[in-house]
Amino acid sequence: MRPALVIVALIVLAALLVPPLLPFDHVAIDWDSVRVGMFTDGHLLGTDDLGRDRLARLLVGTRVTLSVALAAALVALVIGVAWGAIAGWVGGRTDELMMRIVDGLYALPFMFVVILLMVVFGRSILLVFLGIGFVEWLTMARVVRGQVIALKQRPFILAAEAAGSPARATLLRHILPNVAGVAVAYLMLTVPHVVMIESFLSFLGLGVQEPLTSLGILVNEGAEEMDMNPSALLLPGGVLVLVIACLTIAGERFRDRLADAAR
Amino acid sequence: MSEGYVVRDLGVRIGDRAIVDDISFSLAPGEIVALAGASGAGKSMSAMTPFGLSAGVASGSAMLDGIELVGMPERDLSRIRAEKVGFVFQQPLTALTPHRTVGQHLQEAAMQAGGVKPDKAAMVAMLESVGLSRPEERLVQYPHRLSGGERQRVLIAAALAHGPRYLVADEPVSALDAALRGEIMALLVRLCRERGMAMLLVSHDLAGIEHHADRLLLLEAGKVAEAGPAQQIATAPATDYGGRLMAATPRLSEPLHQLPDTGETLLEAETIHVHFPKPGWRRGRIDAVVDASLSVAEGETLALVGGSGSGKSTLGRAIAGLGPMAAGSVRWQGTAMPPRNRRSSEHRRLIQPVFQDPLASLDPRWSVADIILEPVKWLVPHEYRAERAADLLEEVGLPRDFAGRKPSSLSGGQAQRVAIARALAANPAMLLLDEATSALDPLVADGVVALFDRLQRARGLSLLFITHDLALARRTAHRIAVMEAGRIVECAPREELFANPQAEATRRLIAASG
Repeated sequence: MRPALVIVALIVLAALLVPPLLPFDHVAIDWDSVRVGMFTDGHLLGTDDLGRDRLARLLVGTRVTLSVALAAALVALVIGVAWGAIAGWVGGRTDELMMRIVDGLYALPFMFVVILLMVVFGRSILLVFLGIGFVEWLTMARVVRGQVIALKQRPFILAAEAAGSPARATLLRHILPNVAGVAVAYLMLTVPHVVMIESFLSFLGLGVQEPLTSLGILVNEGAEEMDMNPSALLLPGGVLVLVIACLTIAGERFRDRLADAAR
Repeated sequence: MSEGYVVRDLGVRIGDRAIVDDISFSLAPGEIVALAGASGAGKSMSAMTPFGLSAGVASGSAMLDGIELVGMPERDLSRIRAEKVGFVFQQPLTALTPHRTVGQHLQEAAMQAGGVKPDKAAMVAMLESVGLSRPEERLVQYPHRLSGGERQRVLIAAALAHGPRYLVADEPVSALDAALRGEIMALLVRLCRERGMAMLLVSHDLAGIEHHADRLLLLEAGKVAEAGPAQQIATAPATDYGGRLMAATPRLSEPLHQLPDTGETLLEAETIHVHFPKPGWRRGRIDAVVDASLSVAEGETLALVGGSGSGKSTLGRAIAGLGPMAAGSVRWQGTAMPPRNRRSSEHRRLIQPVFQDPLASLDPRWSVADIILEPVKWLVPHEYRAERAADLLEEVGLPRDFAGRKPSSLSGGQAQRVAIARALAANPAMLLLDEATSALDPLVADGVVALFDRLQRARGLSLLFITHDLALARRTAHRIAVMEAGRIVECAPREELFANPQAEATRRLIAASG
């Protein structure tokens, strides 16, 4: 878990702290050196077709992708935990109804919905992460509901009732803290998934809008010139793979550790 | 070549931890030897490890018919097991493979040493010998169609299918309903006697085995504390450990102790009905408790006894307002208690529960002090909290400095005492004890039962004591109510119940516990 988290932390730090230190920003066009190779005229990774610094664009793209992912995952966390906890806690027909709604939403073709949203409301970064978060909460709700139902049958919940604890207090003081670990573990697994979705949307040209960039856009651009300049594809692609792999590994380790601790 | 199973200086290690240390015993052909003791004493480990069926590594010597088992490679061991030894395990629910029929299990078991495939008549005979009804039908049934007792009979039939000379039974009846335990144990013993088979029996339930075993070994922390003829140890144990174990095991034959005096009627429950909906949109219902009435007096212990699924826990919870109740009334000192969702914390204070599984009863994220003070969270000023928690810990016989601990660092018995302290914090008039001692080790359970007695005398508590163990109920309760299939079939003072049992279910329970 630790090496994976260190790698992610380094990437995040680089994406946050390095761009202001660079002599170029991700939008500025350097007319003197359009499409130059690495280590030319102060451009460590060279420039693209429009003369924009590739390093600045890579770091900003990473930042955008990660923040979209984090925001979407948080949206998923909030909606998913609330929905799942209420369904599991109330139980009975309320539970059946709420979970059938989740099943129904699962059945909608996600890409179609996102494309429709983009067409109707225009492209915006806010819409991207709202759209993704709106889909990702479904699984979170299921996971949380299962946990809540398992916890609800534990005798300490009955003991709390006997102790005169009102239902809402029991939910807040006993159930949610015990669900938190699983929710966080699942959150850690949601982030790489959202990174993937965001990059995919951007690759299709449905994600964030130029001149802002993201890893998906950079991969798309890189793919167009990969025969002349493979590093344009490999660098953003590499960062993408590294982030997804490390977060997934860390998330799974965390989840396994929780499962062990529960035993 | 010497016959029998002879164990000399057997040690078992897991990693670098010694589980069993230098135990010796022998098992002559046709003999039944029981290994008993508290949990963690190394009973199962000493029985299973020489046969290569545990995670432990054996040292010393274990000779089966003159062949050394310790250090034998697994391939040879598995041949020895297939030729000479049958095994019966504790969990009848998980010991059968779900996708294979009873007949397939028997065939596999019979052919493990390369024997011929048994025909249908042979398999029917096997099932008949273990007392299964309708054996032809059973052969094509899958395990999920069978009840726990029937599964255990199939497992025994499978263990005997290859005609072993030795049987190793690891807690063969512990997972079964109380009423079935005596029956299955008697079956095992009868089969051993009929076939001249020797049995190595592992059990923590002394009362259940002392009449069946020829010899008994009491293990304590991986060593033999006492060994000898079973009857002798049961009646006159020589060691202190043996004495404590025997005293901790309730028996129907033991003399009755004086129970504290009782007062006015405190709680009356009348014609309680509870049913559960079947899952799904279109709901049928399952009747869990039907027309049950009972009363409990001040300072009185009423035991609710019955098999699993008889509705005793459901009834107890309905009365305490911790479970659903479809119809009926609960009155406390003559005034009606409101239904579950309208009971105030003052109502709830009166009846406090203690559950079976001590660790699951405590929120793993809370400290012991927070758990204990949950019922009085808002009533005890901050500066007195530590003091109050420590006082309650002392009352249940735990050190005062346990307050800062987390449940994960407590043993089962300690956790149960914390749960009792939480119940006491509410200053209840009555405790609902839902199998509160049955998940605990005999010695620990005995300590908890003694604690209930002490608390009852000191605080004048009424106890609603739910248990499957009739002998324990006889030891602790003024009156005993027997439940079967959701109904209270009989309720009488303990002397009367045993002297003159009225209901068929009562007579069966008494016979099973005897």
